[in-house]
Amino acid sequence: MLKLIGAGMTLAACGSIGVTWARVYEKRPQQLVAIEGALQLLETEILYGATPLPEAMAQVAAKCDPEMAGLFRNTALELRKMAGITAGEAWEAAVRDFFPGTALNKQDLQILKRFGAPLGASDKEDQAKHIELTKSQLKLAAQQAESQCRKHALVYKYLGFLGGLLLVLILY
Amino acid sequence: MAGGAGNNEKCGKKGESLVCMVSRDILPILPNRIRELLTELPGEIFNQIEEIRLRQGQPLLLGLTKNDTMVTALGQPTSVPEFGYTVTEQDVMRTVQLVSSSSVYAFEEEIKNGFITIRGGHRVGISGKTIVEKGRVKTIKYITGLNVRVAREVIGAADRVMPFMIDPVFKEVQHTLIISPPRCGKTTLLRDIIRQLSTGIPKLDFKGCSVGVVDERSEIAGCFKGLPQKDVGIRTDVLDGCPKAEGMMMLIRAMGPQVVATDEIGRAEDAAALEEALNAGIKVLTTAHGANREEISQRPVFKYIIEQSVFERLVILGRSRGVGTIEDILDFRTGKSLMR
Repeated sequence: MLKLIGAGMTLAACGSIGVTWARVYEKRPQQLVAIEGALQLLETEILYGATPLPEAMAQVAAKCDPEMAGLFRNTALELRKMAGITAGEAWEAAVRDFFPGTALNKQDLQILKRFGAPLGASDKEDQAKHIELTKSQLKLAAQQAESQCRKHALVYKYLGFLGGLLLVLILY
Repeated sequence: MAGGAGNNEKCGKKGESLVCMVSRDILPILPNRIRELLTELPGEIFNQIEEIRLRQGQPLLLGLTKNDTMVTALGQPTSVPEFGYTVTEQDVMRTVQLVSSSSVYAFEEEIKNGFITIRGGHRVGISGKTIVEKGRVKTIKYITGLNVRVAREVIGAADRVMPFMIDPVFKEVQHTLIISPPRCGKTTLLRDIIRQLSTGIPKLDFKGCSVGVVDERSEIAGCFKGLPQKDVGIRTDVLDGCPKAEGMMMLIRAMGPQVVATDEIGRAEDAAALEEALNAGIKVLTTAHGANREEISQRPVFKYIIEQSVFERLVILGRSRGVGTIEDILDFRTGKSLMR
């Protein structure tokens, strides 16, 4: 009886590890799409509102997917301090804080970092082009992440479960 | 050590010292590197800063009350260019970003005009490579030169002028033209006249009247987001960044001013707008570049105005006894001095 309970627990544990791994794959495309959406908001603020960046960032934080809000809120906070740093630097610091809590990979991090440098440093047209570029990069990354998710998520789920089963068989 | 203002200075109050103003308004828009250099400066130099000039590849230069000085990489004044701290491309770029709170795109109009007004009413002039489209400046692309000008406010600068500007019997404001060579405190005087007319002058038993200001170059009221940063009185309406002629019409139609004030008239349409104001029974207060009555009467716009004998008072500024010396006040029609 005890053995049976142990076997069940092993199976559940391994299964949930597999699910957790799979979730990273599932989350990444969602998060990429959420960031893309937030950038769309930012573009609107800049292009049509000509809203100064600290305010624009705070607006985006209030409106976008709550999971992404921290990134924009932190950038706004850094900028409001007037500590002599540029928007690019404020953004990069915010990205550094934000990244570890996400399902994003190195390649996504590069896209986000590259987005910072010219931020706020040129006229509307230029800013819009720049945001468009980043959005299309994010879209592409999201598509890739989606297809990876389809391939890997299920594999990891099965792997966890089957691994658990194997462990049970060996130990039983 | 000058940057530590706030410890023993009364900051944030009316009549606060220049040190306070520069520390609070100007330092935050400069890159950290240059902030540090300026805070290292001896107090008597820091106190006199009127301009901070950042020119890419050139030494950091400060315009002081009487002369100018360069600043070494250790934050000491020097007159040897080689010893001066060389302003880098990074410094200029950073300053532009800080001045615009990292939102250059929100200041396209201002950049087109060549300057941005910051909190406190100070102005940052911009130079570099202009991009022209259809014969008009579209933007300044490679910004390489900046001039941060500390806007001073001298409350009481117009004290000596006011008795001549108000009719002692009828308490009526006189049409007044202020003339002066550049950098003699024309705008400072105009601002204080506006403030006194608007708030009222108990000494002269003048109650105060509504004043409309067309501030085309944001120099008079130093508006930041439309809000005057300088004291221009309690009955003053400001149209910031508005062309003079158009602005005068707008004010006359909408705000019902008793006095209209503008800075530096000189174009033909300005004269037409002045005439409109006069016909509406509104008193006019304005300034022009020039050293004396003869010099300005050569200029076509003024020729007409003088022939019409529009103005009643002519205030002549100079710097014979320092910036803002009131050289003379004339009765415009007779040309006689009222001061002697």
